Amino acid sequence: MTPARLYSILFLACLAGHVWFQYNRMATSQGAKTPEVCMFKQLTDLPCPACGTTRSVAHLHQGNLQLAWLSNPFGFLVLTIMYVTPLWIMVDRVKGSHTLWTAYQKMEAELKKASWAIPLVLLVLLNWSWNIYKGL
Amino acid sequence: MEAQKVDMFIMANGKFFESFEIANIRDRMIEANDSKWAQVSSLQFKDPTTILIVSILAGNFGIDRFMIGDTGLGIGKLLTCGGLGIWTIIDWFMIQPATREKNTIKIRQHLR
Repeated sequence: MTPARLYSILFLACLAGHVWFQYNRMATSQGAKTPEVCMFKQLTDLPCPACGTTRSVAHLHQGNLQLAWLSNPFGFLVLTIMYVTPLWIMVDRVKGSHTLWTAYQKMEAELKKASWAIPLVLLVLLNWSWNIYKGL
Repeated sequence: MEAQKVDMFIMANGKFFESFEIANIRDRMIEANDSKWAQVSSLQFKDPTTILIVSILAGNFGIDRFMIGDTGLGIGKLLTCGGLGIWTIIDWFMIQPATREKNTIKIRQHLR
């Protein structure tokens, strides 16, 4: 993974995220229904670990931290990534540095270790169970 | 390394690499020291077909990307419901080339 490739992927992902969020916000304000994007839910009628994240991000934009947490704690992480990443990419581009790429490589190396991977997998499973319990 | 041993290795493991990389890998193996044979022959590669099956069944959760070592991209897929489903579908077509690329990088690292 070269820095250029990573930055392109992250930028496009964040752009898609912002477009999706704005579309979702407009549709919701007009009372329209947004398409069901979760394949797992379409097949099994059960929510996946990330279901409710868009709603969580919407609550965060309105300042409702509690509702955001109840929708899906992933929303906090996704919101942070959506805003920090494009800014970080711009700073790297302006400075001609690769600090985001270096941080990404370090993060990948750390998260592969069992001491991080096992607790995080358990947290994801816990969140998933909670999503199913909430009937999202 | 002996050309015959290398050719047998390529016959047994060719499916793990992109076809256009095989000639280069073969040349590098022949140029490499015999002392590297034990290391290279014991390498475990990811099977692109297995990863594709995982991608079809559980790609929404990013498990395919986690399995090939793309932890960051796997987390991205997991947090976004498989990139709103779009990334899941894209990876049904991209995951096999990505797996072969990872295998190529792995063998090249050991042939240095």
